Amino acid sequence: MSETFCYILDNGAYTAKVGFSNAEPKVVPNCIMKAKSERRRPFIGSQIDECRDASGLYYILPFQKGFLTNWDTQKTIWDFIFSKECCPVNLSETPLIVTEPIFNFSSVQEAMTEIFFEEYECQTLLRINATDLAEYQYRKTHNNECTVVVDSGYSFTYIVPYIKGKKYREGIRRIDVGGKVLTNHMKEILSYRQLNVMEESYVINQAKEDSCFVSQDFMADMEIAKRKGPTNTIVKDYVLPDYTTIRRGFLRDVVRPDEDLEQQTLRLNNERFCIPELLFRPSDVGIPQMGIPEAIINSIEACPEENMESLLENIILYGGNTMFRGFRDRTYNEVRALALDHYDVNVTLGENPVTYAWEGGKMMFRDPEFYSFCLTREEYEEEGRPLAFERFDI
Amino acid sequence: MTTRESGRVKEGEKRRVLDDAARKRRARKAVEALEQDNFHEDPHADLVMSKKVPKFSDSNEKPTRKKKAKSAEYYKMRFRKTFAQLVEEDASYRPEPPNYMSAQVGPSKFPDRHFCAVCGFLSNYTCISCGARYCSVRCLGTHLDTRCLKWTA
Ligand SMILES: [Zn+2]
Ligand SMILES: [Zn+2]
Repeated sequence: MSETFCYILDNGAYTAKVGFSNAEPKVVPNCIMKAKSERRRPFIGSQIDECRDASGLYYILPFQKGFLTNWDTQKTIWDFIFSKECCPVNLSETPLIVTEPIFNFSSVQEAMTEIFFEEYECQTLLRINATDLAEYQYRKTHNNECTVVVDSGYSFTYIVPYIKGKKYREGIRRIDVGGKVLTNHMKEILSYRQLNVMEESYVINQAKEDSCFVSQDFMADMEIAKRKGPTNTIVKDYVLPDYTTIRRGFLRDVVRPDEDLEQQTLRLNNERFCIPELLFRPSDVGIPQMGIPEAIINSIEACPEENMESLLENIILYGGNTMFRGFRDRTYNEVRALALDHYDVNVTLGENPVTYAWEGGKMMFRDPEFYSFCLTREEYEEEGRPLAFERFDI
Repeated sequence: MTTRESGRVKEGEKRRVLDDAARKRRARKAVEALEQDNFHEDPHADLVMSKKVPKFSDSNEKPTRKKKAKSAEYYKMRFRKTFAQLVEEDASYRPEPPNYMSAQVGPSKFPDRHFCAVCGFLSNYTCISCGARYCSVRCLGTHLDTRCLKWTA
Protein backbone atom coordinates (compact mmCIF):
# COMPACT_ATOMS: atom_id res chain seq x y z
CA MET A 1 0.00 0.00 0.00
CA SER A 2 3.01 2.32 0.07
CA GLU A 3 2.77 4.76 -2.80
CA THR A 4 5.73 6.49 -4.36
CA PHE A 5 4.14 9.89 -4.08
CA CYS A 6 1.33 11.63 -2.25
CA TYR A 7 -0.84 14.68 -2.84
CA ILE A 8 -0.34 17.68 -0.57
CA LEU A 9 -2.96 20.40 -0.10
CA ASP A 10 -1.88 23.23 2.19
CA ASN A 11 -5.32 24.78 2.34
CA GLY A 12 -4.73 28.40 3.35
CA ALA A 13 -7.42 31.03 3.87
CA TYR A 14 -6.22 33.03 0.86
CA THR A 15 -4.17 30.65 -1.25
CA ALA A 16 -4.06 26.88 -1.47
CA LYS A 17 -0.64 25.35 -2.09
CA VAL A 18 -1.22 22.14 -3.96
CA GLY A 19 0.60 19.39 -5.83
CA PHE A 20 2.14 15.93 -5.86
CA SER A 21 5.11 15.26 -3.60
CA ASN A 22 7.27 14.39 -6.61
CA ALA A 23 6.59 17.73 -8.35
CA GLU A 24 6.48 21.46 -7.69
CA PRO A 25 3.51 22.98 -5.82
CA LYS A 26 1.01 25.32 -7.44
CA VAL A 27 -0.22 28.36 -5.56
CA VAL A 28 -3.96 28.70 -6.24
CA PRO A 29 -6.17 31.51 -4.91
CA ASN A 30 -8.52 29.77 -2.48
CA CYS A 31 -11.47 31.90 -3.48
CA ILE A 32 -14.02 32.64 -6.16
CA MET A 33 -13.78 36.08 -7.71
CA LYS A 34 -16.26 38.07 -9.70
CA ALA A 35 -15.21 40.83 -12.05
CA LYS A 36 -17.16 43.88 -13.13
CA SER A 37 -15.76 43.52 -16.61
CA GLU A 38 -16.75 39.88 -17.02
CA ARG A 39 -20.38 39.27 -16.27
CA ARG A 40 -20.73 35.89 -17.87
CA ARG A 41 -18.94 33.87 -15.23
CA PRO A 42 -17.13 33.89 -11.91
CA PHE A 43 -13.45 32.95 -11.70
CA ILE A 44 -12.58 29.96 -9.54
CA GLY A 45 -9.09 29.73 -8.08
CA SER A 46 -6.39 30.29 -10.69
CA GLN A 47 -8.98 30.96 -13.42
CA ILE A 48 -8.46 34.59 -12.37
CA ASP A 49 -5.42 34.54 -14.68
CA GLU A 50 -7.91 34.54 -17.56
CA CYS A 51 -9.57 37.73 -16.34
CA ARG A 52 -8.68 40.65 -18.60
CA ASP A 53 -9.64 43.42 -16.21
CA ALA A 54 -9.16 42.72 -12.51
CA SER A 55 -10.43 46.06 -11.25
CA GLY A 56 -13.18 46.00 -8.66
CA LEU A 57 -12.89 42.24 -8.05
CA TYR A 58 -15.40 40.82 -5.63
CA TYR A 59 -14.18 38.00 -3.39
CA ILE A 60 -16.05 34.96 -2.15
CA LEU A 61 -13.87 33.20 0.39
CA PRO A 62 -14.43 29.81 2.06
CA PHE A 63 -12.69 31.01 5.22
CA GLN A 64 -13.94 33.45 7.80
CA LYS A 65 -11.49 34.70 10.44
CA GLY A 66 -9.14 31.89 9.51
CA PHE A 67 -11.66 29.03 9.74
CA LEU A 68 -13.47 27.12 7.04
CA THR A 69 -17.12 28.14 7.26
CA ASN A 70 -18.40 28.40 3.67
CA TRP A 71 -18.42 24.80 2.52
CA ASP A 72 -20.20 25.35 -0.78
CA THR A 73 -17.48 27.80 -1.81
CA GLN A 74 -14.72 25.48 -0.61
CA LYS A 75 -16.20 22.47 -2.37
CA THR A 76 -16.46 24.39 -5.63
CA ILE A 77 -12.80 25.41 -5.36
CA TRP A 78 -11.63 21.91 -4.38
CA ASP A 79 -13.56 20.44 -7.31
CA PHE A 80 -11.65 22.89 -9.49
CA ILE A 81 -8.29 22.08 -7.86
CA PHE A 82 -8.78 18.30 -8.21
CA SER A 83 -9.96 18.64 -11.81
CA LYS A 84 -7.98 18.52 -15.05
CA GLU A 85 -8.03 22.27 -15.16
CA CYS A 86 -5.71 22.54 -12.18
CA CYS A 87 -4.00 19.57 -10.53
CA PRO A 88 -5.95 16.37 -11.18
CA VAL A 89 -5.74 13.57 -8.65
CA ASN A 90 -7.43 10.32 -7.81
CA LEU A 91 -7.55 10.30 -4.03
CA SER A 92 -8.64 6.67 -3.88
CA GLU A 93 -5.13 5.82 -5.07
CA THR A 94 -2.97 8.66 -3.79
CA PRO A 95 -2.48 9.46 -0.08
CA LEU A 96 -3.56 12.99 0.85
CA ILE A 97 -1.98 15.42 3.30
CA VAL A 98 -4.31 18.35 3.98
CA THR A 99 -3.68 21.23 6.39
CA GLU A 100 -6.01 22.85 8.88
CA PRO A 101 -5.65 25.86 11.18
CA ILE A 102 -4.36 25.56 14.73
CA PHE A 103 -7.20 24.88 17.21
CA ASN A 104 -9.54 24.11 14.33
CA PHE A 105 -13.10 23.77 15.62
CA SER A 106 -14.25 20.20 16.17
CA SER A 107 -17.21 20.38 13.80
CA VAL A 108 -14.99 21.73 11.04
CA GLN A 109 -12.60 18.85 11.71
CA GLU A 110 -15.46 16.37 11.45
CA ALA A 111 -16.59 17.93 8.21
CA MET A 112 -13.06 17.67 6.80
CA THR A 113 -12.86 13.96 7.62
CA GLU A 114 -16.28 13.29 6.17
CA ILE A 115 -15.88 15.21 2.93
CA PHE A 116 -12.52 13.64 2.09
CA PHE A 117 -13.53 10.06 2.82
CA GLU A 118 -17.09 10.23 1.54
CA GLU A 119 -17.11 12.84 -1.20
CA TYR A 120 -13.57 12.56 -2.54
CA GLU A 121 -13.26 8.83 -1.69
CA CYS A 122 -9.90 9.25 -0.11
CA GLN A 123 -7.97 6.04 0.69
CA THR A 124 -5.30 7.43 3.04
CA LEU A 125 -5.71 10.76 4.81
CA LEU A 126 -3.43 12.88 6.98
CA ARG A 127 -5.03 16.01 8.41
CA ILE A 128 -2.42 18.20 10.04
CA ASN A 129 -1.56 21.79 11.01
CA ALA A 130 0.58 23.63 8.47
CA THR A 131 2.93 24.61 11.32
CA ASP A 132 3.54 20.88 11.99
CA LEU A 133 4.77 20.44 8.43
CA ALA A 134 6.95 23.54 8.70
CA GLU A 135 8.43 22.33 11.98
CA TYR A 136 9.09 18.91 10.47
CA GLN A 137 11.08 20.41 7.62
CA TYR A 138 13.04 22.69 9.93
CA ARG A 139 13.86 19.91 12.40
CA LYS A 140 14.92 17.48 9.69
CA THR A 141 17.30 20.03 8.18
CA HIS A 142 18.65 21.46 11.47
CA ASN A 143 18.62 18.46 13.83
CA ASN A 144 17.45 20.69 16.64
CA GLU A 145 15.46 19.84 19.75
CA CYS A 146 12.95 22.71 19.96
CA THR A 147 11.49 25.11 17.39
CA VAL A 148 9.35 28.23 17.39
CA VAL A 149 7.25 28.34 14.21
CA VAL A 150 5.91 31.74 13.16
CA ASP A 151 3.22 31.50 10.47
CA SER A 152 2.12 34.94 9.30
CA GLY A 153 -0.73 34.43 6.89
CA TYR A 154 -3.85 36.09 5.56
CA SER A 155 -6.13 35.91 8.61
CA PHE A 156 -3.68 36.02 11.47
CA THR A 157 -0.20 35.29 12.72
CA TYR A 158 0.40 32.18 14.80
CA ILE A 159 3.39 31.50 17.02
CA VAL A 160 3.69 27.82 17.86
CA PRO A 161 6.47 26.37 20.04
CA TYR A 162 7.51 22.75 19.54
CA ILE A 163 9.43 20.63 22.02
CA LYS A 164 11.02 17.49 20.58
CA GLY A 165 8.69 17.58 17.60
CA LYS A 166 5.51 18.07 19.61
CA LYS A 167 3.37 21.21 19.80
CA TYR A 168 3.52 22.79 23.24
CA ARG A 169 -0.08 24.02 23.35
CA GLU A 170 0.27 26.23 26.41
CA GLY A 171 2.75 28.35 24.48
CA ILE A 172 0.68 28.88 21.32
CA ARG A 173 -0.04 32.56 20.61
CA ARG A 174 -2.26 34.18 17.99
CA ILE A 175 -2.01 37.76 16.80
CA ASP A 176 -5.12 38.89 14.95
CA VAL A 177 -3.11 40.65 12.26
CA GLY A 178 -2.46 39.09 8.87
CA GLY A 179 -2.30 40.08 5.23
CA LYS A 180 -5.99 40.96 5.08
CA VAL A 181 -5.73 43.56 7.85
CA LEU A 182 -2.71 45.11 6.14
CA THR A 183 -4.41 45.35 2.74
CA ASN A 184 -7.63 46.72 4.25
CA HIS A 185 -5.74 49.33 6.26
CA MET A 186 -3.80 50.35 3.17
CA LYS A 187 -7.03 50.71 1.20
CA GLU A 188 -8.55 52.80 3.96
CA ILE A 189 -5.74 55.32 4.28
CA LEU A 190 -5.12 55.63 0.53
CA SER A 191 -8.84 56.13 -0.08
CA TYR A 192 -8.95 58.92 2.47
CA ARG A 193 -5.71 60.60 1.45
CA GLN A 194 -5.72 60.22 -2.34
CA LEU A 195 -8.05 58.10 -4.40
CA ASN A 196 -11.00 55.86 -3.58
CA VAL A 197 -9.63 52.33 -3.82
CA MET A 198 -12.01 50.69 -1.34
CA GLU A 199 -13.25 48.28 -4.03
CA GLU A 200 -9.75 47.39 -5.20
CA SER A 201 -8.58 44.74 -2.72
CA TYR A 202 -6.89 42.76 -5.46
CA VAL A 203 -4.94 45.71 -6.85
CA ILE A 204 -4.02 47.19 -3.47
CA ASN A 205 -2.90 43.78 -2.25
CA GLN A 206 -0.46 43.75 -5.16
CA ALA A 207 0.58 47.35 -4.42
CA LYS A 208 1.29 46.25 -0.86
CA GLU A 209 3.42 43.32 -2.03
CA ASP A 210 5.28 45.47 -4.54
CA SER A 211 5.89 48.54 -2.38
CA CYS A 212 5.98 47.87 1.34
CA PHE A 213 8.94 47.03 3.55
CA VAL A 214 9.54 46.53 7.24
CA SER A 215 11.38 49.45 8.80
CA GLN A 216 14.50 48.74 10.81
CA ASP A 217 14.23 52.10 12.60
CA PHE A 218 10.68 53.37 12.55
CA MET A 219 11.27 56.86 13.96
CA ALA A 220 14.22 57.48 11.62
CA ASP A 221 12.19 56.38 8.58
CA MET A 222 9.37 58.69 9.68
CA GLU A 223 11.86 61.58 9.62
CA ILE A 224 13.12 60.62 6.16
CA ALA A 225 9.55 60.39 4.85
CA LYS A 226 8.86 63.92 6.12
CA ARG A 227 11.61 65.42 3.97
CA LYS A 228 10.86 67.25 0.75
CA GLY A 229 12.97 66.66 -2.32
CA PRO A 230 15.63 64.07 -3.15
CA THR A 231 16.71 63.40 0.45
CA ASN A 232 13.39 61.63 0.91
CA THR A 233 14.51 58.22 -0.30
CA ILE A 234 11.24 56.57 0.68
CA VAL A 235 8.61 58.36 -1.38
CA LYS A 236 7.70 56.60 -4.66
CA ASP A 237 4.82 56.44 -7.07
CA TYR A 238 2.91 53.23 -7.63
CA VAL A 239 1.68 53.03 -11.21
CA LEU A 240 -1.74 51.41 -11.19
CA PRO A 241 -2.66 48.77 -13.76
CA ASP A 242 -4.91 50.00 -16.57
CA TYR A 243 -5.48 46.50 -18.01
CA THR A 244 -4.63 47.66 -21.51
CA THR A 245 -0.87 48.16 -21.42
CA ILE A 246 -0.21 47.53 -17.70
CA ARG A 247 -1.48 44.27 -16.19
CA ARG A 248 0.29 44.59 -12.88
CA GLY A 249 1.17 47.84 -11.16
CA PHE A 250 4.75 48.75 -10.30
CA LEU A 251 6.74 51.13 -8.17
CA ARG A 252 8.72 53.92 -9.76
CA ASP A 253 10.56 57.08 -8.76
CA VAL A 254 8.61 60.27 -8.47
CA VAL A 255 8.91 62.19 -11.72
CA ARG A 256 8.74 65.98 -12.12
CA PRO A 257 5.33 67.23 -13.27
CA ASP A 258 6.70 68.22 -16.69
CA GLU A 259 7.73 64.66 -17.39
CA ASP A 260 4.37 63.29 -16.39
CA LEU A 261 3.92 59.94 -18.05
CA GLU A 262 0.13 60.13 -18.01
CA GLN A 263 -0.18 57.09 -15.85
CA GLN A 264 -2.54 56.83 -12.92
CA THR A 265 -0.43 56.64 -9.80
CA LEU A 266 -0.65 56.46 -6.05
CA ARG A 267 1.93 58.43 -4.10
CA LEU A 268 3.35 56.10 -1.45
CA ASN A 269 5.41 57.60 1.33
CA ASN A 270 5.06 56.66 5.01
CA GLU A 271 2.50 54.07 3.88
CA ARG A 272 5.37 51.98 2.54
CA PHE A 273 6.52 51.01 6.03
CA CYS A 274 3.56 51.97 8.27
CA ILE A 275 1.47 49.14 6.78
CA PRO A 276 3.76 46.17 7.62
CA GLU A 277 4.51 47.92 10.92
CA LEU A 278 1.12 46.64 12.13
CA LEU A 279 2.63 43.16 12.39
CA PHE A 280 5.09 44.56 14.89
CA ARG A 281 2.76 47.04 16.59
CA PRO A 282 -0.92 46.05 16.17
CA SER A 283 -1.82 48.84 18.61
CA ASP A 284 -0.91 51.38 15.89
CA VAL A 285 -4.31 50.62 14.40
CA GLY A 286 -6.16 50.05 17.67
CA ILE A 287 -5.75 46.28 18.02
CA PRO A 288 -4.69 45.84 21.67
CA GLN A 289 -2.18 43.03 21.09
CA MET A 290 1.56 42.41 21.14
CA GLY A 291 3.57 42.48 17.96
CA ILE A 292 5.36 39.42 16.59
CA PRO A 293 8.72 39.68 18.43
CA GLU A 294 7.10 40.40 21.79
CA ALA A 295 4.66 37.53 21.23
CA ILE A 296 7.57 35.17 20.39
CA ILE A 297 9.14 35.96 23.76
CA ASN A 298 5.76 35.65 25.46
CA SER A 299 5.28 32.24 23.85
CA ILE A 300 8.73 31.00 24.84
CA GLU A 301 8.23 32.20 28.42
CA ALA A 302 5.16 29.96 28.65
CA CYS A 303 7.33 26.91 27.84
CA PRO A 304 9.46 24.91 30.32
CA GLU A 305 12.56 26.88 31.21
CA GLU A 306 14.94 24.10 30.21
CA ASN A 307 13.76 24.47 26.60
CA MET A 308 14.23 28.22 26.39
CA GLU A 309 17.74 28.07 24.98
CA SER A 310 16.83 25.72 22.15
CA LEU A 311 13.62 27.62 21.35
CA LEU A 312 15.43 30.96 21.01
CA GLU A 313 18.03 29.36 18.76
CA ASN A 314 15.47 27.93 16.35
CA ILE A 315 12.88 30.48 15.26
CA ILE A 316 11.52 29.84 11.77
CA LEU A 317 9.38 32.34 9.86
CA TYR A 318 7.11 31.60 6.92
CA GLY A 319 3.87 32.81 5.29
CA GLY A 320 3.24 35.62 2.83
CA ASN A 321 3.87 38.51 5.25
CA THR A 322 7.36 37.29 6.05
CA MET A 323 8.34 38.20 2.48
CA PHE A 324 8.34 41.94 3.18
CA ARG A 325 11.89 43.19 2.86
CA GLY A 326 13.37 43.59 6.33
CA PHE A 327 10.89 41.28 8.07
CA ARG A 328 13.49 38.78 9.28
CA ASP A 329 16.02 41.38 10.38
CA ARG A 330 13.47 43.37 12.36
CA THR A 331 12.17 40.20 14.02
CA TYR A 332 15.69 39.10 14.87
CA ASN A 333 16.73 42.50 16.26
CA GLU A 334 13.66 42.85 18.46
CA VAL A 335 13.78 39.29 19.78
CA ARG A 336 17.49 39.75 20.42
CA ALA A 337 16.80 42.94 22.40
CA LEU A 338 14.02 41.32 24.44
CA ALA A 339 15.82 38.04 25.24
CA LEU A 340 18.35 37.67 28.03
CA ASP A 341 21.90 38.46 26.89
CA HIS A 342 23.41 35.05 27.61
CA TYR A 343 21.10 33.28 25.16
CA ASP A 344 21.82 32.99 21.46
CA VAL A 345 19.04 33.98 19.12
CA ASN A 346 18.59 32.55 15.62
CA VAL A 347 15.82 33.62 13.28
CA THR A 348 15.48 31.93 9.89
CA LEU A 349 13.27 32.98 7.01
CA GLY A 350 11.94 29.89 5.28
CA GLU A 351 13.20 29.43 1.76
CA ASN A 352 10.07 30.07 -0.35
CA PRO A 353 8.00 31.34 2.60
CA VAL A 354 4.66 30.70 0.85
CA THR A 355 5.31 27.00 0.18
CA TYR A 356 7.49 26.25 3.21
CA ALA A 357 4.81 24.16 4.95
CA TRP A 358 3.95 22.38 1.69
CA GLU A 359 7.61 21.40 1.28
CA GLY A 360 7.50 20.07 4.84
CA GLY A 361 4.67 17.78 3.75
CA LYS A 362 6.88 16.48 0.98
CA MET A 363 9.56 15.57 3.51
CA MET A 364 7.06 14.07 5.96
CA PHE A 365 5.77 11.72 3.26
CA ARG A 366 9.25 10.17 3.17
CA ASP A 367 9.23 9.53 6.93
CA PRO A 368 9.33 5.75 7.54
CA GLU A 369 6.49 6.26 10.03
CA PHE A 370 4.34 8.23 7.58
CA TYR A 371 1.50 5.74 7.29
CA SER A 372 1.16 5.51 11.05
CA PHE A 373 0.21 9.21 11.13
CA CYS A 374 -2.58 8.63 8.60
CA LEU A 375 -6.12 7.33 8.74
CA THR A 376 -7.25 4.84 6.12
CA ARG A 377 -10.67 4.53 4.61
CA GLU A 378 -11.13 1.12 6.26
CA GLU A 379 -10.28 2.51 9.70
CA TYR A 380 -12.67 5.39 9.12
CA GLU A 381 -15.45 3.07 8.09
CA GLU A 382 -14.90 0.77 11.06
CA GLU A 383 -14.25 3.22 13.84
CA GLY A 384 -15.52 6.46 12.40
CA ARG A 385 -14.89 9.92 13.67
CA PRO A 386 -13.63 9.31 17.21
CA LEU A 387 -10.52 7.70 15.76
CA ALA A 388 -9.92 10.75 13.57
CA PHE A 389 -9.90 12.97 16.65
CA GLU A 390 -7.55 10.59 18.39
CA ARG A 391 -5.08 10.31 15.56
CA PHE A 392 -4.85 13.89 14.33
CA ASP A 393 -3.37 16.42 16.71
CA ILE A 394 -4.99 19.57 15.33
CA MET B 1 -6.61 76.67 17.00
CA THR B 2 -9.94 77.94 18.37
CA THR B 3 -10.38 80.60 15.71
CA ARG B 4 -9.68 78.09 12.98
CA GLU B 5 -12.17 75.69 14.44
CA SER B 6 -15.02 78.17 14.84
CA GLY B 7 -14.39 79.41 11.35
CA ARG B 8 -14.84 75.98 9.91
CA VAL B 9 -17.46 74.37 12.06
CA LYS B 10 -21.04 75.43 11.56
CA GLU B 11 -22.80 77.15 14.46
CA GLY B 12 -24.97 74.20 15.35
CA GLU B 13 -22.05 71.83 15.54
CA LYS B 14 -19.84 74.17 17.49
CA ARG B 15 -20.21 72.66 20.92
CA ARG B 16 -21.00 69.16 19.76
CA VAL B 17 -18.62 66.70 21.23
CA LEU B 18 -18.71 62.96 20.75
CA ASP B 19 -19.18 61.17 24.05
CA ASP B 20 -17.02 58.31 25.17
CA ALA B 21 -19.41 55.63 24.01
CA ALA B 22 -19.59 57.08 20.50
CA ARG B 23 -15.79 57.34 20.32
CA LYS B 24 -15.45 53.71 21.37
CA ARG B 25 -18.06 52.70 18.82
CA ARG B 26 -16.10 54.49 16.10
CA ALA B 27 -12.87 52.84 17.14
CA ARG B 28 -14.52 49.42 17.19
CA LYS B 29 -16.04 49.95 13.75
CA ALA B 30 -12.66 50.94 12.37
CA VAL B 31 -11.09 47.71 13.67
CA GLU B 32 -14.04 45.65 12.39
CA ALA B 33 -13.65 47.20 8.93
CA LEU B 34 -10.16 45.69 8.76
CA GLU B 35 -11.83 42.25 8.76
CA GLN B 36 -14.09 42.80 5.78
CA ASP B 37 -13.68 40.82 2.56
CA ASN B 38 -15.41 43.33 0.29
CA PHE B 39 -16.53 46.94 0.52
CA HIS B 40 -18.91 46.75 -2.41
CA GLU B 41 -21.84 44.66 -3.48
CA ASP B 42 -21.57 41.52 -5.54
CA PRO B 43 -21.26 42.89 -9.10
CA HIS B 44 -23.25 39.93 -10.43
CA ALA B 45 -25.96 40.13 -7.78
CA ASP B 46 -28.56 41.06 -10.36
CA LEU B 47 -27.71 38.12 -12.59
CA VAL B 48 -29.76 35.01 -12.03
CA MET B 49 -27.15 32.68 -13.51
CA SER B 50 -24.38 33.82 -11.22
CA LYS B 51 -26.23 32.58 -8.17
CA LYS B 52 -24.99 29.17 -9.12
CA VAL B 53 -21.32 28.84 -9.66
CA PRO B 54 -20.60 26.38 -12.47
CA LYS B 55 -20.30 22.84 -11.27
CA PHE B 56 -17.60 20.38 -12.08
CA SER B 57 -19.83 17.39 -11.56
CA ASP B 58 -19.63 16.68 -15.27
CA SER B 59 -19.06 12.94 -15.03
CA ASN B 60 -16.55 12.57 -17.86
CA GLU B 61 -14.30 15.12 -16.11
CA LYS B 62 -13.65 12.67 -13.32
CA PRO B 63 -13.61 9.17 -14.72
CA THR B 64 -12.24 7.73 -11.48
CA ARG B 65 -15.15 8.79 -9.32
CA LYS B 66 -17.60 5.93 -9.02
CA LYS B 67 -20.49 7.48 -7.18
CA LYS B 68 -22.31 10.64 -8.05
CA ALA B 69 -20.72 13.68 -6.46
CA LYS B 70 -22.82 15.68 -4.06
CA SER B 71 -23.44 19.29 -4.87
CA ALA B 72 -21.71 22.23 -3.22
CA GLU B 73 -25.13 23.27 -1.97
CA TYR B 74 -25.44 19.95 -0.09
CA TYR B 75 -22.29 20.64 1.89
CA LYS B 76 -23.38 24.18 2.57
CA MET B 77 -26.49 22.81 4.29
CA ARG B 78 -24.76 19.82 5.81
CA PHE B 79 -22.06 21.83 7.63
CA ARG B 80 -23.98 25.03 8.18
CA LYS B 81 -22.49 26.84 11.16
CA THR B 82 -21.56 30.47 11.59
CA PHE B 83 -18.25 31.59 13.02
CA ALA B 84 -20.01 32.75 16.20
CA GLN B 85 -21.66 29.33 16.61
CA LEU B 86 -18.33 27.61 16.15
CA VAL B 87 -16.65 29.76 18.80
CA GLU B 88 -19.49 29.08 21.22
CA GLU B 89 -19.37 25.36 20.51
CA ASP B 90 -15.62 25.31 21.03
CA ALA B 91 -16.02 26.99 24.42
CA SER B 92 -18.06 24.02 25.63
CA TYR B 93 -16.05 21.36 23.79
CA ARG B 94 -12.64 22.67 24.88
CA PRO B 95 -13.51 24.72 27.96
CA GLU B 96 -10.05 24.54 29.53
CA PRO B 97 -7.20 26.51 27.99
CA PRO B 98 -5.23 26.16 25.82
CA ASN B 99 -7.87 26.77 23.14
CA TYR B 100 -8.77 29.22 20.40
CA MET B 101 -9.77 31.96 22.81
CA SER B 102 -6.85 31.57 25.18
CA ALA B 103 -4.29 31.60 22.38
CA GLN B 104 -5.03 35.23 21.56
CA VAL B 105 -2.00 37.22 22.59
CA GLY B 106 -2.33 39.89 25.29
CA PRO B 107 -1.66 43.63 25.08
CA SER B 108 1.83 44.96 24.45
CA LYS B 109 3.93 46.31 27.29
CA PHE B 110 5.08 49.11 25.00
CA PRO B 111 3.15 52.38 25.16
CA ASP B 112 0.69 53.13 22.32
CA ARG B 113 1.90 55.43 19.57
CA HIS B 114 -0.35 58.05 18.05
CA PHE B 115 -0.57 58.97 14.41
CA CYS B 116 -2.21 61.85 12.63
CA ALA B 117 -5.53 60.65 11.23
CA VAL B 118 -4.90 62.70 8.11
CA CYS B 119 -1.26 62.31 7.05
CA GLY B 120 -0.10 59.34 9.12
CA PHE B 121 2.88 61.04 10.72
CA LEU B 122 3.27 61.09 14.50
CA SER B 123 0.73 63.28 16.24
CA ASN B 124 0.81 65.27 19.44
CA TYR B 125 -2.72 66.65 19.49
CA THR B 126 -6.23 65.32 19.97
CA CYS B 127 -9.34 66.75 18.34
CA ILE B 128 -11.59 68.14 21.07
CA SER B 129 -14.78 67.16 19.27
CA CYS B 130 -14.13 63.53 18.34
CA GLY B 131 -10.83 62.45 19.88
CA ALA B 132 -9.08 61.82 16.54
CA ARG B 133 -5.37 62.60 16.47
CA TYR B 134 -3.77 65.28 14.32
CA CYS B 135 -0.29 66.70 13.86
CA SER B 136 -0.70 70.25 12.61
CA VAL B 137 -3.18 73.07 12.01
CA ARG B 138 -3.28 72.06 8.38
CA CYS B 139 -4.21 68.46 9.11
CA LEU B 140 -6.76 69.56 11.72
CA GLY B 141 -8.40 71.68 9.03
CA THR B 142 -8.62 68.72 6.67
CA HIS B 143 -9.92 66.54 9.47
CA LEU B 144 -12.70 69.01 10.35
CA ASP B 145 -13.65 69.43 6.71
CA THR B 146 -13.75 65.75 5.88
CA ARG B 147 -14.35 63.53 8.89
CA CYS B 148 -14.65 64.63 12.52
CA LEU B 149 -18.41 64.99 13.05
CA LYS B 150 -19.27 64.61 9.39
CA TRP B 151 -20.05 60.96 9.65
CA THR B 152 -21.70 59.42 12.66
CA ALA B 153 -20.82 55.92 13.61
ZN1 LIG C 1 -0.95 65.32 9.91
ZN1 LIG D 1 -12.52 65.55 15.17
